Amino acid sequence: MKVKVVAQILEANDRIAAENRRLFKDSGVYVINLMSAPGAGKTSLIESTIKELHNKLRIGVIEGDIAGTDDAQRIESLGIPVVQINTGGACHLDANMISEAITDLPLKDLALLIIENVGNLVCPSEFKVGEDMKIMILSITEGDDKPLKYPLMFQESSALILNKIDLLPHTNADLKKIKNNSLSLNPSLKIFEVSCKTGEGISEWTSWLQSLVA
Amino acid sequence: MHEVSIALGLLEFAAEYCEREGYKGIEAITVKIGKASGVMPEAFHFAFEAVKIGTIAEKACLTINEVPVSGFCSNCNKSFTVEETYVLSCPMCGKSSFRVETGRELNICEMEVF
Repeated sequence: MKVKVVAQILEANDRIAAENRRLFKDSGVYVINLMSAPGAGKTSLIESTIKELHNKLRIGVIEGDIAGTDDAQRIESLGIPVVQINTGGACHLDANMISEAITDLPLKDLALLIIENVGNLVCPSEFKVGEDMKIMILSITEGDDKPLKYPLMFQESSALILNKIDLLPHTNADLKKIKNNSLSLNPSLKIFEVSCKTGEGISEWTSWLQSLVA
Repeated sequence: MHEVSIALGLLEFAAEYCEREGYKGIEAITVKIGKASGVMPEAFHFAFEAVKIGTIAEKACLTINEVPVSGFCSNCNKSFTVEETYVLSCPMCGKSSFRVETGRELNICEMEVF
């Protein structure tokens, strides 16, 4: 017998994401899902953000990696509650992994939870985890062709952090092209130019983030 | 690579549906996948064949209907389809007075159950 079904394939994930979202809201914690290619500077941006905001906000972190605990150790050394998820091969975090990880975090004490997704410019944009906002990082050295090669992540994100801006003079990347193409894909995208290494632009980003959390 | 997770999501939905409605198994599933959804049909097929083993959909065959990226331009008052996975401007008039209408689908449309 044929039955017509109207449903999203990822309905099960979306349902758990909605439960996570409700729990975050009840606990009064603002959640960002940080995505980028490997090496764009997700962990470095989290470190810079913590250094700038930890006196103003209680921050917690979930680290998603295929394997290893290097990133969680970097965050833990800053005195921040952190949970490491090892996906064991999966190229993205999903809502269920987050639902399990948050049982190890003092959610009610936190104002901001930063979820560092697995380094990948494709898959993470497909899976909601219960976040208030998706943020992506593109490092200048990745090249100015990325917005049109990986449009989905640029469309799904609320903010684009252009990291390693200090390296711009040493690359062929056309900053204007990156910004124009990103904004054509997503006109409401908020763009920040930063360097986690020199600290340039970090306070603009953290002030904006803080205004969302408060 | 996330096609495996998406195929698992599909099977999870199908199994729950059959349990709720009292069906014993699934013979066929038809899905709609948009060209801009980030899912590759070939990889999704491959993943589905691998993860269906031992489930209620073990014998099910999967049909994937690909949906092109299309939009409507209010300046031209016409619909359009593009080959790319994104639209930067209306392909007819070049303006940004358009809205994207299809291409992001990841939907289940039909199942054959028994």
